[in-house]
Amino acid sequence: MIFFFLLLAAMFVALVAQHFIPPLPIVNARVLLMPVIMFYGALALPTPGMLVLAFCGGLMWDALHGQMIEGNVEIALGWSIVLYATLGALMGGFRPLFQRGRWEIHCLLSGVCTSMIVLAEYLMLTFRREPVVFVFNKDVWWRIGGAGLVAALLSPLFFFTLNYLAFLVGYDAQPDRNVKRPR
Amino acid sequence: MSRRLVIPSVIVFVLATGFILFLSPHNVRRVQAGFLGLISPMLKGGSGMEKRYRDYREGLKNLEQLEEENKRLLVANKELSATNQTLRGLEAENNRLHKALEYRERALFKLTPARIIARDASTWYSKIVIDRGTSDGLKEDGDQAVLTEEGLVGKTTVVSEHSAEVVLISDEACRVAANVEGTREQGIVKGERASSGTSPSIGLNFLSKQANLKSGANIYTSGVGGVFPSGVLIGQVKEFKMRELDGHASIVPAVDLTTLEDVFVVVGDSK
Repeated sequence: MIFFFLLLAAMFVALVAQHFIPPLPIVNARVLLMPVIMFYGALALPTPGMLVLAFCGGLMWDALHGQMIEGNVEIALGWSIVLYATLGALMGGFRPLFQRGRWEIHCLLSGVCTSMIVLAEYLMLTFRREPVVFVFNKDVWWRIGGAGLVAALLSPLFFFTLNYLAFLVGYDAQPDRNVKRPR
Repeated sequence: MSRRLVIPSVIVFVLATGFILFLSPHNVRRVQAGFLGLISPMLKGGSGMEKRYRDYREGLKNLEQLEEENKRLLVANKELSATNQTLRGLEAENNRLHKALEYRERALFKLTPARIIARDASTWYSKIVIDRGTSDGLKEDGDQAVLTEEGLVGKTTVVSEHSAEVVLISDEACRVAANVEGTREQGIVKGERASSGTSPSIGLNFLSKQANLKSGANIYTSGVGGVFPSGVLIGQVKEFKMRELDGHASIVPAVDLTTLEDVFVVVGDSK
């Protein structure tokens, strides 16, 4: 329980900290820290914990980034909750592997899922705004892929920090790391 | 234990998410304003720290430059040079603020000065957060023009008590009715999708095909729509091209939206 609240607090801090990190030069991709923590939670926590994390994370994200134009909501508040929970559930499928000590699972999936978040945002905006024209030029792909690449590169740092925090509060995120697989 | 909790937790999750998804725009605005109000002290604190760090780095850079100059000129008194450099920095800041104050005094609108405390961290939106809110006279439901002495910046959207979000003219969702100086041409200025990076591109749409605008022509707000006052400079024409149904001009914004630090919010007429 303590670890869950620590993850929640870390997500909040990451959400605020993101504002002070400029986009990457040339490719213009953003450094998204909050999803990396959310995805760690999806692997480290059981399903109910992941769902609460996805709910809080998605709500915070939409509350801060949702666009209001002329009194109308451009994309409904809460759609990120659905997206985070879907990606979290997808990652939950890899949880047994993660629990056996495979830290690279978090690294790989954080990258892929962060890119999927940015891609989903782009698709939602494109469907919402007139005219519905899918522009997939090099700049757009770099923004989508770049965000995932940065997330994948940063995730080991987050993984070891959060694992250490878990150890400090007595939560074992990878209980099967020393279990030998039967042959 | 946790397996037994999965189904009830999924049910609660679906119900709670459904409730959030169907909130009315008014309630969404309240949630967003509340959250913005919650994090704005942190954004202000972070912005202050960022500024101090930037000043410190710039100070270091100036010292390096001074050292090189000192070596070249064989001037011994480094301390005095550093002091002069600091004073030059203060003078530049003083000049900038003086210029802003003069603009505020001669402007036809009632302006509220604001400082940018954060830039939006999302990939596809062009937004900034300013340190003024309803307690400083901004309207709760937004839609107030934001500008600088150089030109138009954008308009407010979500406004909390002490901070507000501003959607920039480089965002596709911010549309401004505009006219071209010296012609009868009118159109709509809007940002281009995926243009929120370091070099935002905006365009003037729905021009007549015969417009044939010259590069460098000034684009001003026309005042149609009531959000933006008329006569505010938006930018200059970079390139004009004919499309199938209309003419389109690429615009260079009059304001450098990427390095902006201080802005003004139009809160009413000056009279």
